Amino acid sequence: MEMAALHLPSFSIQPSPPFPKHRVSLNTTQLMTEFVMFQCPSRRNPPKSGSLMIRRRLVRAVSDSGSSTEGAATDSPDENIVVTSDSANDSPPDSQDEKVLVTSESANDSPDSKPLVFVAKLQAAISPLSPFVSSMKIYAGSHSNVIWLSTATAFLLFVAVRVHIGVTRKSKHNRPGTVADLVRRGQLRSDRRGMYAQGISSLKYEDPFNNPYVKLGKSNSTVEMCGKVYKLSPVTLTPEEQAIHQRRRSRAYEWKRPTMFLKEGDSIPPDVDPDSVRWIPANHPFATTASDIDESMAQTNVYQKHGVPFRIKAEHEALQRKLGALQQDQKLNKFFIDSGNAKEYDRSLKLHPKSNEAVDQNPSGNQEGNSSPSSSNSSSSSFNSTSPSDEPQKL
Amino acid sequence: MLSLKPLPLSHNPSFLHSLTPFTPPPFPRTQTLKPSKHASPPSAIQSALQWNRKPELAGETPRVVVITSGKGGVGKTTTTANIGISLARLGFSVVAVDCDVGLRNLDLLLGLENRVNYTLVEVLNGDCRLDQALVRDKRWSNFELLCISKPRSKLPLGFGGKALVWLVDSLKQRPEGCPQFILIDCPAGIDAGFITAITPANEAVLVTTPDITSLRDADRVTGLLECDGIRDIKMIVNRVRTDMIKGEDMMSVLDVQEMLGLALLGAIPEDSEVIRSTNRGYPLVLNKPPTLAGLAFEQAAWRLVEQDSMQAVLVEEEPKRRGLFSFFGG
Repeated sequence: MEMAALHLPSFSIQPSPPFPKHRVSLNTTQLMTEFVMFQCPSRRNPPKSGSLMIRRRLVRAVSDSGSSTEGAATDSPDENIVVTSDSANDSPPDSQDEKVLVTSESANDSPDSKPLVFVAKLQAAISPLSPFVSSMKIYAGSHSNVIWLSTATAFLLFVAVRVHIGVTRKSKHNRPGTVADLVRRGQLRSDRRGMYAQGISSLKYEDPFNNPYVKLGKSNSTVEMCGKVYKLSPVTLTPEEQAIHQRRRSRAYEWKRPTMFLKEGDSIPPDVDPDSVRWIPANHPFATTASDIDESMAQTNVYQKHGVPFRIKAEHEALQRKLGALQQDQKLNKFFIDSGNAKEYDRSLKLHPKSNEAVDQNPSGNQEGNSSPSSSNSSSSSFNSTSPSDEPQKL
Repeated sequence: MLSLKPLPLSHNPSFLHSLTPFTPPPFPRTQTLKPSKHASPPSAIQSALQWNRKPELAGETPRVVVITSGKGGVGKTTTTANIGISLARLGFSVVAVDCDVGLRNLDLLLGLENRVNYTLVEVLNGDCRLDQALVRDKRWSNFELLCISKPRSKLPLGFGGKALVWLVDSLKQRPEGCPQFILIDCPAGIDAGFITAITPANEAVLVTTPDITSLRDADRVTGLLECDGIRDIKMIVNRVRTDMIKGEDMMSVLDVQEMLGLALLGAIPEDSEVIRSTNRGYPLVLNKPPTLAGLAFEQAAWRLVEQDSMQAVLVEEEPKRRGLFSFFGG
């Protein structure tokens, strides 16, 4: 019974009863094997059972010449080949470390042809493994594909994370309650923010004639700027041509600077040249109904360098004068109020005889108090007398 | 890298030669309202090799430049904002004045609309001092903005131009020093706003586009400027479409120059980034990486500093076809 043991770093082929065994017979000349991968364990999803089942279908091959030299070919019994993977030793497969150890046994070997037979058998054993090796190479190639796939996946993950961070930052700005709201409400100066966002230190002067975006052609006649090619065309205006234009304009446009601005409808003063008068429409910003500003005063205001401006000072002084006048009025009012109180006091004294002495003590105040209401009464009576006479006239 | 200024055709085309700028002939002044503008010839600045150096300031400070066009919507305010910021980046002190009474836009382009509290009208009325009305840009501390008036206020008749003259004079005398550039953003048209804006100016930058309507208005404005005594006038051709020029659907920059007869300060290509920069309140020249239009504005600012003008313009060509072995460097 011949047994074939295929030993791999992560895969060990061991005879194990639970797995289906396929008896394979090794012939001396040729063996065809066909491996069908049951399950390919991956790093992320290790096989649950921890074992890799490889079905090996061995097809009996008919030996030819090889078998004749080695003696009578006998049908070797079927081989049992089971490949299992050790999950504990889940190391990355390395094709270089693959070891293929094939042992075979044969009960019908003759002692004389043992070395040759061994060699033949070795050759026979190795040859059917070539498709297996190629499949392992494919597996190794696919494994490198796995590496590339994982690298690409990691890169995509990295890009996705960066994009997510960028979106998060943008959404942070659009979230309510950010600094953008302060700018929107006018609490923060947008121009200052723009200035600082761009960076003051970055606003260094650059020579406009020495700009890296402007590229001069080798022949010094072409210029490349912002992706477009330009040709330099010299200016052809001469000083003589310029003088001709100036003479033309002096003949065409005869104009005198106006010295007087009048509103439409105003009369021209007698000693003013009509050509120097400029008529301004009434709704023009330059038109004023009354020129409150004195020319000399305006000039003084423009030349003022320090101190309080003239109008502010004038208003302040006017306000102070007004306040002073108000205070004086209040004092006088207080004085008049006191005399009124004395009059009322006088009335109360009349009701009581004991208070006559107090009334005698203030004769002048009573007279004044009596005269003022009497005068007011007379005035009111005169008004009343006139008003009825006026009424028929109005009618 | 070398400068984009080749020699005229008579010379051997090489970038290693220096170029002298165009110097306009001085003319006598007749107006008495304007301050004395001595049309002294600028120093002969030779635009030599321009690599890694700061432009050399030419002319007397402060250089009061009015940016005008005549026709509206050609890019005056955009030019003022970008050239102003470019000058500030070059290290020059700049005061930009928005003289558009009623339609204030320069603060929007610069992103300073929330910081304008006082204008020149408040200064004239005595509500604030001049230094309180100037808005300093926090990005570039040597750039300041002054608006003439708020949309609903009115500038008094008669001394609008005088007010600007007082303004320039006051800026010269301020304790922190005289600004090196005062850019005046002129309103569209040729009425009182235009006359007011050009009053204190010594030189002008005329912004135009390569279309016939803009050119006609630009020619009229140039005539008025020359009548008023401003002789140093340079031109910026804005919104140039090189593809349309190549297809002969648009006048070329040289055609525009031939029609107007003005020295070229810059040719700005059409760029959609202009609109985005306006929306952001961030001038185009500060973009990183720079756009074509931003580079063109920076170059125009450079030439303005040195009182130089363009000697050549860029004409688009067919791109070079790459061969089979182009990636090998062939």
